[in-house]
Amino acid sequence: MPRSNPTLDMTPMVDLAFLLVTFFMLTSSFRTPEPVVVDPPTSTTKIEIPKQVFMITVDNKGGAFIDITNAAVKSRVFEKVCNQYGMKVDSLTVKKFAGSGAIGMKLSSIPQYLELEANERTKVNQTGVPYDTTGKKSELYWWAFYTRTEAHADFKMREEEAKTRKLPFDKSNYIQFAVKAASDAKYDAVKNVIQIFRDAKVKQFQMITGLEAEPSLK
Amino acid sequence: MAQIQESGGGGHGKGGKKRAKKSSTHVDMTPMVDLAFLLLTFFVLTSTFSKPKVLRMIFPEKLDKIDNVKAPEVKDGLTLLLTDKDKIYYYRGSLKPTTELIPIDYTRTGLRKVLVDYNSDMLLKLQDIQKRMNKVDEKDTAAKRKLDDEVLQVQTASKQIVLVKNDEGATYRNMIDVMDEFMITQIAKYFVIDEGMAKLEKDLIKKQGN
Repeated sequence: MPRSNPTLDMTPMVDLAFLLVTFFMLTSSFRTPEPVVVDPPTSTTKIEIPKQVFMITVDNKGGAFIDITNAAVKSRVFEKVCNQYGMKVDSLTVKKFAGSGAIGMKLSSIPQYLELEANERTKVNQTGVPYDTTGKKSELYWWAFYTRTEAHADFKMREEEAKTRKLPFDKSNYIQFAVKAASDAKYDAVKNVIQIFRDAKVKQFQMITGLEAEPSLK
Repeated sequence: MAQIQESGGGGHGKGGKKRAKKSSTHVDMTPMVDLAFLLLTFFVLTSTFSKPKVLRMIFPEKLDKIDNVKAPEVKDGLTLLLTDKDKIYYYRGSLKPTTELIPIDYTRTGLRKVLVDYNSDMLLKLQDIQKRMNKVDEKDTAAKRKLDDEVLQVQTASKQIVLVKNDEGATYRNMIDVMDEFMITQIAKYFVIDEGMAKLEKDLIKKQGN
C-alpha cells in the first residue's frame, strides 16, 4: 500500500473565507473620524436612527459638533452659512467640507482646517461650533436654520423628481435632527444647544441612545 | 499541506529525451488562506451591525411672548426633581414650604415603582386594550384602528401629569433615564420645565441633604 501524501484540499475553506470577506466588505461602512468621542446614555427604545440625519454631538463640556450625512445638502448648507457671514469659498473647499466628517469650530477657521491632510486633522483640538445662549443669532443658529430649510428643499426636490419620473418616492430620507450627547454632560448644557435649534424652529429631535435590556413593569 | 512538487525530473538535463514534466496541479494555498482570514478578521472586528437607537423627543416651538405661558399648575400631579450625584426626589401635589421630598433612585424599585403606582389606572386600561388587540385578526385593519383610537383616547383623557425639573447638577443621562421610564410606564402627559427648579425646591433638597 502506497504511503498517502498528507495533503489537504483547502479550496472549500478558501471559498468560504473569501465569501465571508466579500460579505463583510460590502456590508460594513467605515466610520468617519470624529473630533470627539462621546458615550451616549442607554434606553429601552427600539426605534432605529433615521437614514439621513443632521448629527449634533454634544460633549461633556457642552461643545457642539455638527455633521450632515447627506453630502449634497451638507455642501449647500456650508455655502449658505458662508454666504451669511460674507465669506468666499471655492468649490474645492466645499467639496472637501462635504467629506470631512463632524466639525466643531468657528466658521472662519474651517477653510484652514480643510487644507490639512486627514491625519493632521485629527490632531486639531476642536472645541465646538460657537453658540450664544442669550438668544443672539450665532453660527450654530445659522447651521441649524439652513439645514432645516435645505433639508426641506432637498425633500421637495426629490419628491418632484419622483413624480416626473413616475417612480416610487421614499419618504424616509428626510433629514432629521439627531442629538448624540455624552451621558455625563450636564443636562443644562445639552438643553442650551437644543435651545439654539428650537430658535431655528427645529422641533423634533432624535436622541441617540445605546441599547438596554427589555424592561418589565414589576 | 498542499505543495508544488519540485524537481520534476531534470528539465534541462543533458541528453535523454525531453519528457513532458509530470508536475502536480497542487497549488500551495496557505498564503492565500492566511490573507483571506486576515481580511476576514479585520472586517469582522471593524464592522458594526446594530444601528444606534433613538429616543424621539418633540419640543414645542418657542414663543416670542413667553410672559403669557405659565408653568402648568397641577393639583395632584407628580413632580420629579433631578439633582447632582444621580439623586432624584419626588413630591405629590403643589409646592408648599412644608412639602416633603421623597428620595428615590433610578432603579426598577425606585422611580419605576413610583410611576407604575401613579399610573396604575391607565396601565390597566391599556393592558385591557392590548388583550383585545391580541384577539383581533391580523387583517382586520378597521378593528385595529378602532383600538388604536381607543388607546389615544385613554392617553388624552389621562389626568396623571408628571413634571420634571432639574438643577445644574443633573446630567443628560438622568434626563434620558427619566424619559425612558415614562415610555416604559406609559405616562401620557409629562412636562420638562425649561426653567428648572424653583428656589424653594432647591432649598428643600438642601435641607434633605443635611
